[in-house]
Amino acid sequence: MGQRHREQREMETRERVAGETGSAAWPGLSDPAHDSQRLFRQILGAMSEPGTLETLAVPVPPSDALGAALWGVVLTLCDLETRVWIAADLDSPALRQALTFHTGARITDDPESADFALLTHESFDPQTSFALGSDTYPDRGTTLMVAVERLANVGPSMLSGPGIETTRALDIGDTAGCRALMDRLAANRASFPQGLDMIFGCGARLAAVPRSTRVTRADAKEVN
Amino acid sequence: MNGYNFAYLDEQTKRMIRRALLKAVAIPGYQVPFGGREMPMPYGWGTGGVQLTASILGADDILKVIDQGADDTTNAVSIRHFFQRVAGVETTTATTAADVIQTRHRIPETPLRAGQILVFQVPIPEPLRFIEPSEQETRLMHALEEYGVMHVKLYEDIARYGHIATTYAYPVKVDGRYVMDPSPIPKFDNPKLDGNPALMLFGAGREKRLYAIPPHTRVESLDFEDHPFEIQRWEHACALCGSDHSYLDEVITDDQGGRMFVCSDTDYCQSRRGEVA
Ligand SMILES: [Zn+2]
Repeated sequence: MGQRHREQREMETRERVAGETGSAAWPGLSDPAHDSQRLFRQILGAMSEPGTLETLAVPVPPSDALGAALWGVVLTLCDLETRVWIAADLDSPALRQALTFHTGARITDDPESADFALLTHESFDPQTSFALGSDTYPDRGTTLMVAVERLANVGPSMLSGPGIETTRALDIGDTAGCRALMDRLAANRASFPQGLDMIFGCGARLAAVPRSTRVTRADAKEVN
Repeated sequence: MNGYNFAYLDEQTKRMIRRALLKAVAIPGYQVPFGGREMPMPYGWGTGGVQLTASILGADDILKVIDQGADDTTNAVSIRHFFQRVAGVETTTATTAADVIQTRHRIPETPLRAGQILVFQVPIPEPLRFIEPSEQETRLMHALEEYGVMHVKLYEDIARYGHIATTYAYPVKVDGRYVMDPSPIPKFDNPKLDGNPALMLFGAGREKRLYAIPPHTRVESLDFEDHPFEIQRWEHACALCGSDHSYLDEVITDDQGGRMFVCSDTDYCQSRRGEVA
């Protein structure tokens, strides 16, 4: 089978899959310039004041595993200059196609080359080798977008540091994955300025915890 | 607005700057490289600040632009008109009414509030540049927290003048980690960087670097135990509003050598005099 023929076949397959899985239902921004500006200011606010909750007005995607808020972050920040890694539990032909169609982002299987990673608290694995940035270019790291069990400003996890006047409580859920995520964030201090920045989504709600944040648990002496 | 994208920059450039801004906020005081674009104004006119403002500004924002504290200098007026034209935003001279404030060389006297964003125009982002011209070397010095040379430079001042002679672009340490150039603000403004409830963003157009201080972040001016950091003080009060606690400019009033001291922050001075700006 010739190369052109194969490409043609692949394209037809993609279109058929798109038709069957309804990727057309993954919505874009109705007014890209103004919607993305508004969403970016909310994301910037969330990253600047770690743990604060933002509610994003974004068209709801057909799969609720990712959630509207994180889909809004994808639409706001991803484009053809970015690489996106997708965890197995979120991965689908429909999401891949919607991501490519709406943003042009390249999808990668290598977490270390990803600018953004899409995952859930259930698929979070502390062993996944996301990019932490280098000591001279710490910004060159993967930003995690994680769908979590819930988002609320209650204990026992307490945040402090830049963007927080005293302390702020943040609860992302009770699952093993949620605990592992908070533990991973707490570990950022030891590797700073290298580290992982995380944006959490739960439905239309969003919160962020960058690597500069100190994370402690009220029910433990200190999370390491 | 015809012929322009909203706020001048194309969407892809804005996204690239926005991604860099999030990293800058996540690593306070660290200089993030960004692929800056040519702007329709010369570099000395704050193209770095203009690109950041263009990337964050929304149609509902109220914008204030100041140059050395004043809203009415050529630089401030032209940037304000630029954003009125390309983004159709409302502008103001009142610090309290502004959502976004782009500034060159000052931080407003009126305390900023949560939710406001202050965008600084930065000529030289690297505080170690005058000690080490190589970008590769300064990156390494930041990585290793090799900031001893910075203290040596300040201490040479003390040896020579009996005090630290640096009066503007006075280096700070952000959240106990990165040494940062706060842009050429007078050191009088340095204490306002510490624990400020507003988000502060810094953009250098020529060198294509941006950096940030999130709200409520610890920012210390470098100093020595025997020579603690001090801000400028004046023997005079403002000749116009009587303020004895604001940054004053000396103004020549006539050709007979007459002079007076007035607030450099024109909005602050006018509001103290009960005038409507
Ligand atoms: Zn005055």
